[in-house]
Amino acid sequence: MAQQPLPTSAQPTDIYGGDEVSALVLDPGYCNTRAGFAGEDVPKSILPSFYGHVTSDPPRDLFGDECIIPRSDFEVRNYMNKDSVVEDWDVAAKMWEFMLVKRLQPERQTPPSKNKLNDDVKEQDGEGDVAMEEVEAMEKALEEYPLLMTEAPWNSPKAREKAIELSMESWGTPAFWLSRTPVLSSFAAGKATALVIDVGGANTSVTAIHDGMVLKRSIQRSPAGGLWLSSQIRNMWETSEPKVDLIPTFMVENKTPVDALAPAQARLREFPYKIHDSYRAFEEERLLTEFKESVVEVWRGPGRYGAAGNEEYIKSQPGRVFEMPDGYNQMWREQRFKVAEGMWDENAGYPVPESERLTKAQTIPELIRSALNAIDVDLRGNLLANVVVTGSTSLINGFNDRLNNELTAMYPGLKIKIHAAGLSSERRFGAWIGGSILASLGTFHQMWISKKEYEENGVGIVEKRCK
Amino acid sequence: MSQSGAKVSPQVSEEFQNLKRSNDKNRVLRYIIFKLSDDYSQIEVEHADADSDWENFREKLLNATSKSKTGAVGKGPRYAVYDFGFKFDGRDINKIILIAWSPDDAGVHPKMIYAASKEALKRSLEGFAYEIQANDSDDLEHSSILNAVLAKMNA
Repeated sequence: MAQQPLPTSAQPTDIYGGDEVSALVLDPGYCNTRAGFAGEDVPKSILPSFYGHVTSDPPRDLFGDECIIPRSDFEVRNYMNKDSVVEDWDVAAKMWEFMLVKRLQPERQTPPSKNKLNDDVKEQDGEGDVAMEEVEAMEKALEEYPLLMTEAPWNSPKAREKAIELSMESWGTPAFWLSRTPVLSSFAAGKATALVIDVGGANTSVTAIHDGMVLKRSIQRSPAGGLWLSSQIRNMWETSEPKVDLIPTFMVENKTPVDALAPAQARLREFPYKIHDSYRAFEEERLLTEFKESVVEVWRGPGRYGAAGNEEYIKSQPGRVFEMPDGYNQMWREQRFKVAEGMWDENAGYPVPESERLTKAQTIPELIRSALNAIDVDLRGNLLANVVVTGSTSLINGFNDRLNNELTAMYPGLKIKIHAAGLSSERRFGAWIGGSILASLGTFHQMWISKKEYEENGVGIVEKRCK
Repeated sequence: MSQSGAKVSPQVSEEFQNLKRSNDKNRVLRYIIFKLSDDYSQIEVEHADADSDWENFREKLLNATSKSKTGAVGKGPRYAVYDFGFKFDGRDINKIILIAWSPDDAGVHPKMIYAASKEALKRSLEGFAYEIQANDSDDLEHSSILNAVLAKMNA
């Protein structure tokens, strides 16, 4: 098998497994994109997949959390679509390069006068055509770094080819690999066979993995993830009595403490330009995330939240207080359970516009049922005994207990065992961490698609090799 | 195929042949435990034994260790093949089973590499009957393994 010799400068400084390579790992999602060095425990750079776009002339794109601030002629866009597949390849290329080059290798920056996005890994001799040098610099941006990328299991062949092309042609990576996120999550849980439930931002997906391979027919997904939960919270605030105004932090100039349920006393900032809806929505999402992390909880079961007596029980329990950026605060008790119930029960939760409503088939229990119905019945027992839960939204309190109760009720008599990493970082970055370990292995040398293989076979090599 | 690139030591299939030659009259081997070398580059034979006491075998797996990348020693995954004897329909039957042991409380690093390397081992073990994935000490109880084997025979 072709093995890619690495230039001496890429030889490891930190020897592990004898011949570690300094590979990079990139894990793009709809809400966040994660990038870092293979062998590290967590990704060094985590940025929103949202980016800023300045609409005035000349239009330009701004990357990084710190650039997404109130400004004129400014929109917030996302290079991914809600299926967690790249939507805008031109921006994806810029965003990834920004992260892999600028964020991960700051010491190699070229003077800003040359090219803001591209690092130059070669010594400049100060001669020759500047334009040529820039082209060359761009081609060499990652010439010393093998790149492992993750992808959703439903990623299209075309998008996979585009990824290797970008990596090889634009960045000059010496080697490339694509791994499917549920396979990485399954392996990271120590399982070559598992039913992976990934509760992410834009999607929740269920994928059966058998002997390290995705069972394609099993793949199920729905919007029942973090953003859908946000829409439930919006609706809850909207219909609450009194109505809760969703005023994101950036709009509040100052506030005075008020009693619970009393109207907020805050002065809002005035902007001499129009704040674009997309920016406001992005900032609202930050606040909603905070609410999810600190208040929302999944009804653990047994049975559904709507069953007789459950709501009365919750009403007798202590609630949680949440203070909005404008100072308004209130105690949330039964609502904080009800808001997450729609993920499990299509008839529960808060009414949302038709387009955002989950069908029964899109609830988490039904996704699992469909996934298991799509595959050989003999595999079911083994998969249910090896359920791997990952994704940030699965960190909501009570999630695993509820899942366990739902599965026990759906499959009586079968052993159900749920594995979810205890460390929140392993749940949030599960796929990235798996990729980081793989790409750091000396033996992984022989797995990489080398530049030579790519040159001989073209983009089609990725479909042949990364199965 | 292996997704980590790990190799398999030739000793692995040699010992496996010895296990396959075994029967209750001539018990050369009862089980073999395999581990990844300390640099995680290849799968090797850690221990091969003719001892038929399940508990001794189980203890060996439960006490297995691996090094994390910082060098800290923690619980470790293993692979094992076991010539498993039991009664089925009133007859004595032996089936060679492959056990992929990966304790849930091992570190993410060894778990990832063992899971990603298992296919390489499988390809060099020609002729085992069933494969069982075990992730906690209960999964390694004799009764759990027996139930898993019976379920597969009845499937």
